[in-house]
Amino acid sequence: MIEAKNIYLSYDDNKYIIKKGNFTIKQKEFIFIGGNSGSGKSTLLKSFYGDIPLKHGSLKIEGQEVFGIGGKKLRVLRKDIGIIFQDYKLISEFTIEENIMIPLKINGYSNEVSRDQANKLLAHVRLSHRAGYYPNEISGGEQQRVAVARALAHNPKIIIADEPTGNLDDYSAEVVWNLLKGANEQLGITIVVVTHRVPKNLGIKFRQLSLEDGMIYEVS
Amino acid sequence: MKFLKNIFAFLIPLTAMLITFSIYLLIDNVVVNYKQRIANDYSIVIITNTPLIKENINTLAGIDVEKIQTLKKNRIINNIKSNLSDTSIKLLKRKLPNFYQIFLEEFPTTTQLEKIKNTLLQNKNIRKVEVFSKDHNQTYLLLVLLNSITFILFFIITIFAIIIIAKQVKLWFHEHSTKIAILRLHGASILYSASSVLNYAILSSLFSFIIVGAFLYYVSSNMMVIFPYELMDIIDVKIDFYNELFKLFILSFGISLFTIIGVLLKYKINND
Repeated sequence: MIEAKNIYLSYDDNKYIIKKGNFTIKQKEFIFIGGNSGSGKSTLLKSFYGDIPLKHGSLKIEGQEVFGIGGKKLRVLRKDIGIIFQDYKLISEFTIEENIMIPLKINGYSNEVSRDQANKLLAHVRLSHRAGYYPNEISGGEQQRVAVARALAHNPKIIIADEPTGNLDDYSAEVVWNLLKGANEQLGITIVVVTHRVPKNLGIKFRQLSLEDGMIYEVS
Repeated sequence: MKFLKNIFAFLIPLTAMLITFSIYLLIDNVVVNYKQRIANDYSIVIITNTPLIKENINTLAGIDVEKIQTLKKNRIINNIKSNLSDTSIKLLKRKLPNFYQIFLEEFPTTTQLEKIKNTLLQNKNIRKVEVFSKDHNQTYLLLVLLNSITFILFFIITIFAIIIIAKQVKLWFHEHSTKIAILRLHGASILYSASSVLNYAILSSLFSFIIVGAFLYYVSSNMMVIFPYELMDIIDVKIDFYNELFKLFILSFGISLFTIIGVLLKYKINND
């Protein structure tokens, strides 16, 4: 569960990107956050995993207050979250399989267990044949599927996705949406997605928030 | 090859520092050995009014007293008795003060000698002190000077080495910044995130240690490489190879870890 009360976010003290942000995201919900470019969607997402500190207010992720968080508490919080970035953020010197193993190894799983789980996920995202490849040897769509697999690897409570289909063709985008839908429906993972375009015919119940002039509105 | 290129800027200053340190260790060993040798032959003679209680003098100028030997009065009288009558000898035996020879565990420096003399003369019971300062060995002083110069050189090179090593570690951090950031976003600790940088540092330290260890082994088996034959005739040049190797190991990894921890802390402060 994510609970924001009167949050303020900014990169400097002069201008707030998010003002008086109030919203609640319940467990197992599928949420889209929309808004124009520069409206602060990505900034809001970053605050969920403590990449941008809150200026004021209270933001609780799974009961953990994010305001002023740091050190071990922040590490523990991040272990509960799966993140999907628009630019994939795969580690170039790791193979596809090793990239998926990252959250598992950080969570203390052995190499054997991590590799086994990574291979299951690779099969799930239909990339088993690419296990030994490096990120620069596969397409953007495939890289994003790897990123989704990595986000799912350690069975997080929440998956946060920042424009996950922004750079993808229609086919790859559909694969990514289906993976996120499956994670929400079958594993009960809360999904928060920042996107310009909410996919049509997603076939799942979702809620939409919108950002405008630093304010957060409920759309539907 | 790429790996060697990567660690080159770390390896060179660390190796230079360790080589200077091993040279310092060799010279220090020479000084210690030489000091020990001349300390065995060196003693201070004191003359006291009443017999000396040995327990009263345990240390002099911070140097442990190895033993205090009484110089037999008869021996002294024997040297001069040919010109003396029996009565004079008896009188002399009664009036003659007590003579002692003090052996120290270490060979003192000139300053320490002066301090020793003053300390002894403060004792009302002691009439005269002979420290034989003129015999104080010039070779020893030169070796001490050389030892100090080598240490200063080692100290300066260490400072420069730490600066260069820290710069290289920062460069590695920069090269791996994306990877470190991604791992941190997934909840990894700074140590886990920077494990590749740590691996570079540990391997560089290991290579450096092996290179300098080999150098030390070669020099310790072929001392004439750095010490002339003439010097080896008068100074016992021998080192405890494994002990010195251990010191090199500690320094090599200690400096690397110290620098890495410094850079890590700075990174943590800036990014947390």
